[in-house]
Amino acid sequence: MGKLTIGTFSSLVGSLSLDFAVKLAEAAVKKGHKVDFWMSGNATMLAKKGQKAFKDYSFLAKPIQELIATGNFQICACEACAEARGYHKEDCPDGFIRKSMDWYLASTFDADRVLHIGGD
Amino acid sequence: MATKKLSFIVRSLPYKTEASRLALTHAIASQTVEIYLNDGDLVEASISYVGDGVLNCLKGQQGMKHYGITTIEGHAKNTLLLDMRVLICKEDLEKFGLSEGNIVMDAEDIGGETSAKIVAYSEIQKEMETADHILVC
Amino acid sequence: MKLAVLMSDYRSGIDMIDRLSADSLGIIFVGNGVYHAAVKDGGKTSSLLGKKANFYALVEDFETRGITAANLDSRVKAVNYGDVVDMIFNDYEKVIWI
Repeated sequence: MGKLTIGTFSSLVGSLSLDFAVKLAEAAVKKGHKVDFWMSGNATMLAKKGQKAFKDYSFLAKPIQELIATGNFQICACEACAEARGYHKEDCPDGFIRKSMDWYLASTFDADRVLHIGGD
Repeated sequence: MATKKLSFIVRSLPYKTEASRLALTHAIASQTVEIYLNDGDLVEASISYVGDGVLNCLKGQQGMKHYGITTIEGHAKNTLLLDMRVLICKEDLEKFGLSEGNIVMDAEDIGGETSAKIVAYSEIQKEMETADHILVC
Repeated sequence: MKLAVLMSDYRSGIDMIDRLSADSLGIIFVGNGVYHAAVKDGGKTSSLLGKKANFYALVEDFETRGITAANLDSRVKAVNYGDVVDMIFNDYEKVIWI
């Protein structure tokens, strides 16, 4: 089995591209692969506690927690992008990491595949 | 000891979205990645501007004056200051009626020694072929 | 190179894909890209379908948009997220998102 690194800038709720990234991560972990999930730009919205589930809107908090629980999924938010948006360390859901962009670059070093979703 | 090559392909227009800004700042982050890796292991990033993305390279951007934010021009210069490989698609520049005089080609004013290269798209295709991973922004 | 392209848009990005060349090219329509697989604009199918590539469309995304597998152009194969993972790891060396 391999390692997939996903990097995404897409907005939470505002773009289904972020949902795609999460669903792809789920499918990859289900098949036995490891996944590193990097959020930068608007994707850092996902690194905020207290998201509510409404039928009209994506709710990714639950699938993310389930992925973290597998032990084969790491999720990391860009610290600067999060802080710029008013999301601080104490706002982060359990299991999320916050680092600078070099974490993502380092993750690509031993990734078998890298999928970068560079827009909304 | 190994080096992994990442090819950042910038196709987004600047400022309305942050995609191209983040492409450059992520690429620049390759300079500090060693803290996470074994001794001697590296991640090397190159940047290629294609399509509308060549417009990120226009000189004279005034983002700081009007919006209080650093310019993409400034980030583009930083990539050259850091000796990164920067390619700009010749055909796309010509399509917009642009040439070397209109765009950021070097960072000499801040002490940089590396210049960007205006190349045929076929060179950017080769850059993608030789990279370990391609990141399109 | 063996390259998988996840094409997520309908109106933009075509120029980028037109220029790509690869020994093996897989174009996987996801998000709004699924419209390339099923919709005719002015009676014409998407120009992308004329490119030398293997074409796929993500079931979860075309069904979300009211498209069924029966609507897909004959050149396009329906795939799910699991299939996409397998293709990324087994059939292609690199993957990009447009």
